[in-house]
Amino acid sequence: MDSEPNMQSTSNLLDGVITDEDDEKYVGPSIRCVMFNLDSEVYGINVKKIREVLRVGTIRKVEGSAPSVLGVINVRGVIVTVVDTRTTYGLPYKPADDLSRIIIVELDTDNIVGMMVDCVMEVKDIPESQFEPMSATKEGASRYLQGIAHYNGDVIVLIDVDSMFSGQT
Amino acid sequence: MDEDILQDFLVEASELVEQLDEQLVELENSPTDSDLLNAVFRGFHTIKGGAGFLGVTPLIEVCHRAENVFDKIRNGDVSYDATAADIIMRAFDAISDYIQQLNDGVREFESADEGLLSELDALWKGGAAPKPEPAEEAASSQPKLELPDDVDPDGEISDDEFEALLNQRDALDNSGSNESESEEPKLALPDDVDPDGDITDDEFEALLNQRDMMDGLEESKESASSAPAPPPEPAKPTPPPEPKKASKPEAAKPDAAKAASAESTVRVDTRRLDEIMNLVGELVLVRNRLLTLRSSDGPEEALSNAVGNLDHVTTDLQASVMKTRMQPVKKVFGRFPRVVRDLARKLGKEIELELKGEETDLDKNLVEALADPLVHLVRNSVDHGVEMPDVREQAGKVRKGTVILAAEQEGDHILLSITDDGKGMDPDVLRRKAVEKGMMDEVSANQMDDKAAFELIMSAGFSTADQISDISGRGVGMDVVKNMITKLNGSIDINSVLGEGTQIKIRVPLTLAILPTLMVSFEDDSYAIPLTSVQEIFDYDSSQINRIDGQMMVRLREKSIPLLFLSDWLAPDQVKDNYAGDKVIIVSIGNQRAGLVVEQVNGQEEVVIKPLGVMMKHLEGYAGATITGNGNIALILDLPGVIQRFQY
Repeated sequence: MDSEPNMQSTSNLLDGVITDEDDEKYVGPSIRCVMFNLDSEVYGINVKKIREVLRVGTIRKVEGSAPSVLGVINVRGVIVTVVDTRTTYGLPYKPADDLSRIIIVELDTDNIVGMMVDCVMEVKDIPESQFEPMSATKEGASRYLQGIAHYNGDVIVLIDVDSMFSGQT
Repeated sequence: MDEDILQDFLVEASELVEQLDEQLVELENSPTDSDLLNAVFRGFHTIKGGAGFLGVTPLIEVCHRAENVFDKIRNGDVSYDATAADIIMRAFDAISDYIQQLNDGVREFESADEGLLSELDALWKGGAAPKPEPAEEAASSQPKLELPDDVDPDGEISDDEFEALLNQRDALDNSGSNESESEEPKLALPDDVDPDGDITDDEFEALLNQRDMMDGLEESKESASSAPAPPPEPAKPTPPPEPKKASKPEAAKPDAAKAASAESTVRVDTRRLDEIMNLVGELVLVRNRLLTLRSSDGPEEALSNAVGNLDHVTTDLQASVMKTRMQPVKKVFGRFPRVVRDLARKLGKEIELELKGEETDLDKNLVEALADPLVHLVRNSVDHGVEMPDVREQAGKVRKGTVILAAEQEGDHILLSITDDGKGMDPDVLRRKAVEKGMMDEVSANQMDDKAAFELIMSAGFSTADQISDISGRGVGMDVVKNMITKLNGSIDINSVLGEGTQIKIRVPLTLAILPTLMVSFEDDSYAIPLTSVQEIFDYDSSQINRIDGQMMVRLREKSIPLLFLSDWLAPDQVKDNYAGDKVIIVSIGNQRAGLVVEQVNGQEEVVIKPLGVMMKHLEGYAGATITGNGNIALILDLPGVIQRFQY
């Protein structure tokens, strides 16, 4: 997978943002997540949903598309929509910089979408037991969240990408 | 219900339904053709077998009765006349309906239509004294007709098995007088052997082999093939099932579940795939050559040769890959014999449909997209083109009208034509109607040539119910047809001679995947406009532009054409009040014309259409995107959508 080198370099770059020292104290099944940042908040997406992580290249704007859509990119011959994850979560627009990445998410075999994030940190196994189940509150539903985990002192928000793009494919 | 088996059944049943559709219509022309009758009988029977396996009771019931009727028909007890044909057609419709429902995911069915069933029964009983029913039914009452034990009687039956059963039954029917044979019908000597005479070793062997075959299917499979002196037909026990077909239900592939959406697959001739593999190999070699040339800084001539080579191979590769998506136009044409037959009967007309060039290949998407417009046009020909038999006779024509549906390849296009020998269209009537409708004044109507007059029928709003009776009638929804064809980047051409007939020609590109476009751009953003719609390009000249009723119009050869300033939409940040230096592209969509004002025209390019992805599928004004020669993305404009956008 093309994502490997990208994620490797990013995680080296940001070594120490999340420490792994306490991993052993958790047992049971875990969810492997790709962790990323929006401002200072830490989010995770199940690695099974992710095809690759790309550096930001040229994004072709498409006039008339939804405000959260940044445009389209060419991923080896496939036209992929890129959404601004910041806009989705109500954060102000911020131009892409060196740390910005596009996470290519597989919704199903035919539909992939790119999510622009502030930076991608690393891949982590988060014990399922650490996730607080999301009650079906309006808040949870509107923010496309699958669960929240307290892990090694961080609050990690696990994103439900399917609900984020449901009805859009 | 086992989904794997169901999917296999659906694929097979759909093919059978298609065949039956043609065969049934054909049968009306030659109702005594025994090959055809047998084929139809087998078709119903096979569907019944599959349905039995899956337990779709109403489907079984209808098939079973249709099969009974055809058994009578091929025995000559019932004739396949118009009444019978109508009932059978309805049964057939019911069957294809069930199969469609299965395809759509329906798994529970109400019981079959009693009326239809009893009509079929009546038809069946209408024949001579009841004879033993074929196949399974006979199996229960006549123990000598047996399927091998391991074959589910309701399961799929191979043609060979079926023939064997038929033969067994025939043998029973014919052998009533011959006691010894009817007792042991399975062991028989060749006809030319005197049963009381001496028996040769070979013959004896053959008989032994025959007997062994009865012992079990396992042995029968081998011995049947190895039996010296093959036994005569009637004595032949059930031969080994044709492996491919008979094993289907059991051998349902594990991945068949994925085939749930049966329509998304295309069967591809392996030779075509080999061709592709070859060309891809070539492509890699040429590419490697290019790579070495680049590093060794070789002479420029070698480089350009290599690039030229690459170009050729890529073009061929493109064509080959395209072929994998091709299907014969027969797929669309296949339904027309039935459509024409039903409509002609309803209207009391006599019409013969001729199909030409059925083997012409075209893109799978096109096959599907063309079906509706063609049905429309053929119906029009039958309904409004061809006259009633009496009228035809009075006009000195043969009573039977002809509609010809033809397809042929013409370069990179497919030409489809619908020709009838009906009454044709009167251009003067059309001109008058146009004036009455307020579509144009009398002077311009009279200036119009005949061809342009015929094209009027494709204008939206030109056709209303009260007109179709006194003009030739074409026009119901012709604007819709025109739009559909335009969407496929095709064109329609109408020719008609009053009293002699009408011909409509549709020209569509071989494939939808590749589109010749005109590239335009605003600053760095490029857009592709489908070239088929582009009529002309000229410089923006403000002296020719007027504001009429709030709409900017350009005057072009005494006509005013509305202008769409694409920058308002595609470059909204730009504040622009001077369009000098911009270009106007006149496009025609259906019967509408518009002038698109763009900043820059970059020339022609053939592009591969790629769909826009998530959250953009329904964005108005875009047909997709493409990657240009320099690796950038260009958006392909969908002109009807663009015009819609500007009309608010």
